[in-house]
Amino acid sequence: MANITGWQGSLLRVNLTTGNIKTEDTMKYKDLIGGAGIGYKIIFDEVPQGTKAFDEANKVVIAVGPLTGTAAPCSGRTNITSLGPTNPYHAITDSHMGGNFGAWLKFAGYDGIIIEGASKTPVWLKIEDDKVSIEDASSLWGKGTIDTEHAINEIMGKEACVASIGPAGEKQKNLASIVNSVNHSAGGHGGILGAKKLKAIGILGKRSVHLADENAQEWLKLNEYMMKDIIGANNQHVVPSTPQPWAEYHNPGSRWTAQLGLFWGAANPPVETGECAAGDKNKVGLRTQKAVFDLGPIAEERTVKMGGCYSCPIRCQSNMYMPELEKYGLTPYATSTCINYSSPASAMLKGFADGDTKGMDAMIVKCLGSRLADDYGIWSNYGQLGRDFKFAYTSGKLKEVLPKEEYNSINFDLMEKGDPAWMVEYYGNLIKDGEFSHLLDGPYWLDQRWNFGKEYWDGYGYNVWSKMAYPKHHSNEAGAQVGALINVMFNRDANSHTHMNFIGAGLPIELLKEIAGEVWGSPDALDAPKNYTPMNEYKAKFAKWSIDRNFLHDSITLCNWVWPMTVSPSKSRNYRGDTALESKFFSLATGIETSEKDLDLMSERIATLHRAATIKNMNTIDMRNEHDTIPNWVFDVDPDMKPFTEGTVKLDRDDMQLALTMLYKEYGWDEKTGAPTRAALERLGLKDVADELEKLNLLP
Amino acid sequence: MLQREIEDFIEKVRSRREFLKMSGKGIAGITVTTSVLNLMGCSNTETANQDAPKAAAFVIPTGLIVSEPNKCTGCQRCEMVCTVANDGKIHPLISRVKIARNFNYGKEMTDNYREENGYYGNFVMTPETCHQCEDAKCAAACPQKAINQNETTKAWTVDKDKCVGCGACTAACPWNMPTVDPETSKSTKCILCGACADNCITGALKFIPWEKFEAMLRRNGYRLS
Repeated sequence: MANITGWQGSLLRVNLTTGNIKTEDTMKYKDLIGGAGIGYKIIFDEVPQGTKAFDEANKVVIAVGPLTGTAAPCSGRTNITSLGPTNPYHAITDSHMGGNFGAWLKFAGYDGIIIEGASKTPVWLKIEDDKVSIEDASSLWGKGTIDTEHAINEIMGKEACVASIGPAGEKQKNLASIVNSVNHSAGGHGGILGAKKLKAIGILGKRSVHLADENAQEWLKLNEYMMKDIIGANNQHVVPSTPQPWAEYHNPGSRWTAQLGLFWGAANPPVETGECAAGDKNKVGLRTQKAVFDLGPIAEERTVKMGGCYSCPIRCQSNMYMPELEKYGLTPYATSTCINYSSPASAMLKGFADGDTKGMDAMIVKCLGSRLADDYGIWSNYGQLGRDFKFAYTSGKLKEVLPKEEYNSINFDLMEKGDPAWMVEYYGNLIKDGEFSHLLDGPYWLDQRWNFGKEYWDGYGYNVWSKMAYPKHHSNEAGAQVGALINVMFNRDANSHTHMNFIGAGLPIELLKEIAGEVWGSPDALDAPKNYTPMNEYKAKFAKWSIDRNFLHDSITLCNWVWPMTVSPSKSRNYRGDTALESKFFSLATGIETSEKDLDLMSERIATLHRAATIKNMNTIDMRNEHDTIPNWVFDVDPDMKPFTEGTVKLDRDDMQLALTMLYKEYGWDEKTGAPTRAALERLGLKDVADELEKLNLLP
Repeated sequence: MLQREIEDFIEKVRSRREFLKMSGKGIAGITVTTSVLNLMGCSNTETANQDAPKAAAFVIPTGLIVSEPNKCTGCQRCEMVCTVANDGKIHPLISRVKIARNFNYGKEMTDNYREENGYYGNFVMTPETCHQCEDAKCAAACPQKAINQNETTKAWTVDKDKCVGCGACTAACPWNMPTVDPETSKSTKCILCGACADNCITGALKFIPWEKFEAMLRRNGYRLS
C-alpha cells in the first residue's frame, strides 16, 4: 500500500498521576477510523468495569479522525469519549466541540490525547509539536474559561488554541463542559477533567496534514463538486425559507434564511445576505442568517457576522453586538447557537419583562445566559437544565429541598418579573456550593436526591427519555419509530441529526419519500409528519443507517449537524444528494481506496463497539429492558387519539417492541436482549471484544 | 460626494495599472469606500462605520483583489484551499493568505482583548494577502535571488530550486507574508493562483479580472480607459 496519509500517526498518552507522557501508534486503531471509534476501544479495553466517571481509573480520550484538518467541508469537530457522569451507570458517552481545537491537534502531530490518572494539584497541558509538558495551573484554578484561555495564550502565543474547564468542571459537576475558543463547548465531561485537576490544554503545532500525494487536484475537484452541487444551509436544509426567484420550493422552517433586504446589520458596513442561489459557492456562508432564526427579527441589526468551526462553510453561529450586556459587567459581544441560546431562556419561567418571546429582553437573556454558561463551563444537557429547574420550582420541590437560608438568599423575584438579571443570579448559584447547584447533577441523580417522582418522569414536556434519564433529542416527533429508535441507542441525549436533517430539509414529503426509497429500500421508510404508520423493516434500515452515520461522523470527524449529504439543493440532480461523499473524501485523505459500503461496515463496527462498551458498563445483556426503554409519554400523549391516526406523534407500545426487534435484527444482534452476539462481533473484526464480554458473562 | 469617491478610486486604479504596465511591478492597496464597493457589486449599503477596518483593493496585473473584513467569518477555508492547491497538504502557517494568525486576537493581543479585533473580542478578523509590491522587499532580500517576477502572471514567485529556506523573505516583508515551510525548508509565497478568492464562502476575498471590472464601470456610466 502507498504511503498512508490523513492520520498524523500518533496518539499522545498523558498520565496525570505519574506525570508520564508518551506517544503511541494511531494506526492500530485504523479500522475504527478515529475520534469516537478510538475512544470507545480505549475505554472498553483500559477502564475497569465498575469504574465511576470521576474515579482516577477513568480515562478521557480527546480524538479526531483522518478528515480533521484536511479541509473537507464541516470537518471542524472534536470528539471526547469517557464515562458519562449523568448516566445512571456512568456508561460511556461522547461529547463534541467545534472550533479550531481538532485541527490544531492534528497540526501538532496527533490524532488524539488519552488522559489518564489524576493530578494532586491543578495542572494544564502544554502541547507544542513534540514538546509536551504538564504545567502548574494553580493560578488558573477558579478562573472562567475565557480568562484561562487568554492566560495560556499569553504564555503560548496568540495563535495557540486552548480548551479549558470553568468553575463547573473544577467543582466536578455532572453538567460541566469543556470549552475551546470562547464558546465551542463539549457537554458532560468537564467534571472529569476537574476530578483529574486538569484545567486546560493549549495546542500549537507546525505539522501539516497531508493528502495522499497525487490527490490534491482530485481533492479540489471533489471540494468544488460538493460546494456547488451538494451542500445546502445549516442542518443541510436545501430550500430557502422564503420564495426566491431561483428556487422551485421554499419552506418557512428552513435555516436557509438569506434573502434580499436581510442583513448582518452590525457589520461595518452591514452585509446583505441577499439572494444566495443554489450552486453559488461564494455565497454558501451567507445562506444561513442564524441570528434571526435563533433570536428573532430583532437580532438582524445586532448581527456582526456568522461564525462557526474550522473549515466549515456553513456558518451556524451568530456573532452578536450587544451593548446591553455592559450593564451586567460584560463586554458587548456574544456568540452562540441553537440550544445554548434557548437554554438560558428556558430558565425564565415567567417569560420576559417586555412580554415578547422574541423581543429585546429575550435576546439579552439568551446572549447573557450563553456567555455565562460558556465562561462557567456549564452544560445545558440539551436544554434539560432549564426543564429540571422548571419542575423543581413550579412543583414546590425546590422550596422543600433547599435550606431555608439558601432559598431566601436567591433572588427568585428577578425571574418572577422576567428581568434578564435572573441569568446572573441563576448561573451564579449553579456554580456555588449550595443545594441549588445540584440542578447540575442531571435528571437521574437529581431524582435520587430530590425525589422528583412520576409526574416528572412521565410528564410530557419534561422530555426525560428512558431509564437512562437523558432528554429526548429528535425522537418520536422526528420520523416516528425511526427517531424513537435513534433515541434509545445512546447513553446521553442522542446527538444524532442524520434523520432530522433529512426530514427537515424543506423538500416536499413526496420527494423525500422518493429519496427515502432510493436510500433505504422503500418510500415507507419515511412517514409524513404526524401521520404515522406501523413499523416496517425500511424504518429499521433508516434508523440503523442514521445511527451508524452518526458514529461515522464522530469518528472521521465530520459535523453530523450538516452531514450526511442525503439530499442537495440542486434541481438538476432532482435534489438527490451524495451519500458516498464521506468515503470519497476519506479515500483522498488517506490514500486508502474506500467505498461507501466499506465505510458503512466500519461505522457499524463502531456502533457495535459502543453497544458492547455500554453492556460492559451496565453489566447486563438485557438491553431491551434495562437500556432501550421508552418513556410513557411517547405512548400516552393525546389520550383521545389512537396511534397511527393523522394529527398525533403518539406511538404504540407493542409496535415499538417490534421496532426494537427489527433494529436488533438489522445489526445481527440477539433479538431478545438486543446484545451483540459473538457472531455479530466477529463479523466486524471485534473478536477481542467478544472474548472480553464472554469473560464477563455478557454474551447472549 | 459618492460620485467623487468613485471617480477618485477609478483614477487611482487607472494610474496604478498604467504604472504596472510600465514597470511590470505591483503596488500597495487602495482603500475602498462603500460607494465603490456598491459599484463593484460587493456590498449594498451606505452605513459604513468610520472605525471599522477598511476594505482594500489591490491592483495586480490581471485585475483587482478586493478584501472585505466585514464579510470574513473566520472559516479559514481560504488558507486550506491555498495549501491544498500549492502544497498538496494543509496548514495555516504555510498559507499565502493569512487569517488563522489573526483569528483569536487580531494582529496583536492586548490587555483589552475582549474589546478588540478577533474572536475573543469584537469578532472582526482581516484576511491578509500578498501585496505583490512595487518594490518587493522579499525579492530584494533573497540572498539566492530566488524570488522573481513570473512573466505570465506577473506575481513575485519563488524558484524552489534556488530557495534555501533561510527566511530572509519573511523577515524582509513588512507583513511577514512569505513563510518557510518547516517540512520542506522552502519559502511559500503567493503566486496569484486565485484559489483563496475562488473558494471564499462569502466573497470576503474577491478577484475581479480587468474585463469584469471594466464591464461593471460601463454599466454604471464610468470608464477605466
